[in-house]
Amino acid sequence: MKTRSETVRLEGHAKQAIETGRNRLILAGCLVALAFAAIGARVIELSALGGAGEPGVASVDPDAQLTVGRADIVDRDGLLLATSLRTPSLYADPKEVLDAEDAAFRLSTVLPEINPAETAAKLASDRRFVWLKRNLTPREQQEVNSLGIPGLHFQDEWKRIYPQGTLTAHAVGFTDVDDRGISGVERSFDDVLRGGRDPLRLSLDLRVQHIVREELLRQIATFSAIGGAGVVLDVDTGETIAMVSLPDFDPNVPGQMDPDTLFNRATLGVYEMGSTFKIFNTAMALDAGTATMRSGYDATHPIRIARFTINDDHAKARWLSVPEIFKYSSNIGSVKMALDVGTDGQRAFMAKLGMLRETAIELPERGRPMVPSPWRPINTMTIAFGHGLAVSPLHLVGGVAAIVNGGIRRPVTLLASDIPSPGQRVISEQTSHDMRRLMRLVVEDGTGRKADTPGYVVGGKTGTAEKAGGRGGYKQKSLISSFVAAFPMHDPRYVVLIMVDEPKGTKETFGYATGGWVAAPAVSRIVARSAPLLGVAPVDPETPEIRRDLMIEVPVEGGKRLASF
Amino acid sequence: MRRATILWFLIATCLGVALFLVKHEVQRREEQLAGLHRQILASQEAIHVLEAEWSYLNRPDRIEALVRRHLNLVPMDTRRIGSVEMLPMRLPMPDAAEDGVAPTLAGLPPLPVGRPLVLTREARR
Repeated sequence: MKTRSETVRLEGHAKQAIETGRNRLILAGCLVALAFAAIGARVIELSALGGAGEPGVASVDPDAQLTVGRADIVDRDGLLLATSLRTPSLYADPKEVLDAEDAAFRLSTVLPEINPAETAAKLASDRRFVWLKRNLTPREQQEVNSLGIPGLHFQDEWKRIYPQGTLTAHAVGFTDVDDRGISGVERSFDDVLRGGRDPLRLSLDLRVQHIVREELLRQIATFSAIGGAGVVLDVDTGETIAMVSLPDFDPNVPGQMDPDTLFNRATLGVYEMGSTFKIFNTAMALDAGTATMRSGYDATHPIRIARFTINDDHAKARWLSVPEIFKYSSNIGSVKMALDVGTDGQRAFMAKLGMLRETAIELPERGRPMVPSPWRPINTMTIAFGHGLAVSPLHLVGGVAAIVNGGIRRPVTLLASDIPSPGQRVISEQTSHDMRRLMRLVVEDGTGRKADTPGYVVGGKTGTAEKAGGRGGYKQKSLISSFVAAFPMHDPRYVVLIMVDEPKGTKETFGYATGGWVAAPAVSRIVARSAPLLGVAPVDPETPEIRRDLMIEVPVEGGKRLASF
Repeated sequence: MRRATILWFLIATCLGVALFLVKHEVQRREEQLAGLHRQILASQEAIHVLEAEWSYLNRPDRIEALVRRHLNLVPMDTRRIGSVEMLPMRLPMPDAAEDGVAPTLAGLPPLPVGRPLVLTREARR
C-alpha cells in the first residue's frame, strides 16, 4: 500500500473523489462490522451463555393427560367409589330431519323409554337443537347409529358413576345433572374434586363397609326395625373405616330417591343414646376421682325428682360397686355418680369429649347435638344414663374411641391420613385402662354377653333408649337399641357401633328388643368377619398377660372382695 | 475465482437440501408425536372405563355371591390363624461344620413312611 501511495500521486479532483470514496468505504465497513459484531454477540449469547429466554433443549408438549370432568373418589385400598365416564348424549337438529314421525317411531324401537309422540313434536319444531336422550350406553349408541336417521348427532358428556351403588351412598353422596356435588363427600370436597386430577382417597374400607351393612340389614330385617346405623372407627387415628346408614339409596339413579333414604342416621341423626353414655359417665367420675373402682353407691331405692322416677332395668336393690353399676347398667348408681361430679363438671367433661358441638367429619350432613339449656341438675341426672343430651352415633363412637385409646380425643375423619392428628387428652391413661376393664366386664359377664367373639377380646356397652315422643314424654314401644364395642380390649384398635332404630322383639329374643339382644350379636359377627381383614391377630383371652391386664376385682359391701375376670 | 463460486454454490445447494430434509423429518415426527398423544389419551380413557368396570365387578356383594356359588370357602375362623410361636420347637441342629456330616435325626421317633396299601380279600368285601 505504502509503496503504491508513493508511486501514484493524484491531485485536484481526482484526489477529492478518492477521498470521498474512501470515507464512504470506511463508513460502510464500520456498519457491516457493527452488524457482524451484533450477530456474533448474539451467537455467543445463545450458544455459550445459554441464551436468556430461550429453552436449553427443544421443548415437547407435556405427555397427554386425560382430563375427566371430576376427580375420582376411591376407598383406602384404591377401589373406585365414584368416577366420571364419557357417555354419548343424543341430540337432533330438526332442520336436518326429513320425516319427524318416522324418525321418532324408529328411535322408540331402540330407545324404549322415549315417547314417540313427544319426540316427533320435538323433531318437527323449528329449533336447531333438541336433546333427545342424555347419557346413552355404547350399545344404544350403536343401535341409534345403525338406524341411519339423518339429523341425529351425539355429543360426549361426562357422567358421574358410582360403581359401588348403595354401599357407600351416604358417605360419598352424589352430584346433580351439572356435576355439582349435592351431598356427602361430593359436596364437601366439591372444589377439590372439580379442579383435581388425583383421586380423593377416603378412609373407608369397602370390605368392612360391606360386612357392616350386611349385618345391619340382617338385624333390621330380623327385628322389623325402621332403620339403623353402623360405624367402625380406628381408635388411634380417628379414621372412619365403615359408615353405614340404612335405609339407603342408589346414587346412580338420581331423582328417584325417597327423602327418608337420603337421611344419614350415622352423622345427621341425633338420638338420646341411653346406657352407652354410662361409659362417659363412669369415665368422668373415675377421672374426677369422685368414684374409684372400689367404691360404690346404694342402689336400693329409685330416685324421685320432680315428677320423674329413675329406676333400674336390671334392679338389684342393694349396694352396688362401680364395676357392678356399669355391668348391670344401673341408672340409680350412675345418677349418684354424676351428682357427685356435679353439673359444671359434667358439662365441662361432655364439652371436652366434643359432645356439645358438631363432629369434625367432612360431610355436609352433620347433626348438631341437642344440648339442654339451661343445664339443670335434673339434666345432669338424666345425662348420666344417656337421656337429655342427644348426639349423633358418630359423636358416640368418637367419644368411646377417646375413652379406650388411652384418653386422647382425635377428630373423626373420612379421609385416609398418614399422619394422625396429635389429639388432645381428655382422661388419664389410668382411667382409660379402668374403662377398658369395665367394658370387657360387660361382655364377659354383663348385659353385652352376646357381643363376645372368641379370640378378639371384645368389650363394650349396651344401650337401649326410648325415643322421645310427643308432649315431652317417651314412647315405651319405640326404642333405639345400640351396642358400642372396642376390640381387642387389651390394646384397642377399632370401635364398632351398631344402632338399630325401633326394633321389635321376636320370639327368639323373648320379646326383648334391647341393645344386648339386637345390636350385640351383630357387633360380634362384624368383629369376627372384619378383624382378619383389618389385620387384628386373634389372641387367647386366657393368656396370663391379658387376664392380668383386664382383671377386675368387684368389691362387695362390707369389704369382702369377689374376684371376677 | 470461478472455482470458488462453484464451491459456494454447491455448499448452498447442499445446505438447502439438508434443511429441507430436516424440516420434513421434524414435521413427520411431530405428526407421529401427535398421533402418539391421541393414542395415549385413548388408552387412558379405555383404562379409565376398565377401572370403573373393575370396581363395579369387585362389588363385595357380587364377590360374595360368586364365592357362595362356585367356591367352597367359609369366613376365616380364628382357630385357623396361628403365629410362629405356636409352631413346635425346631430340631436341634448338630454342629455339622465340624466333620462335614449331614445332621442326623438320631434319637427322634422315625418319620411316618408311606406304605403301599394292600387290600386283603376281607377288606375288599
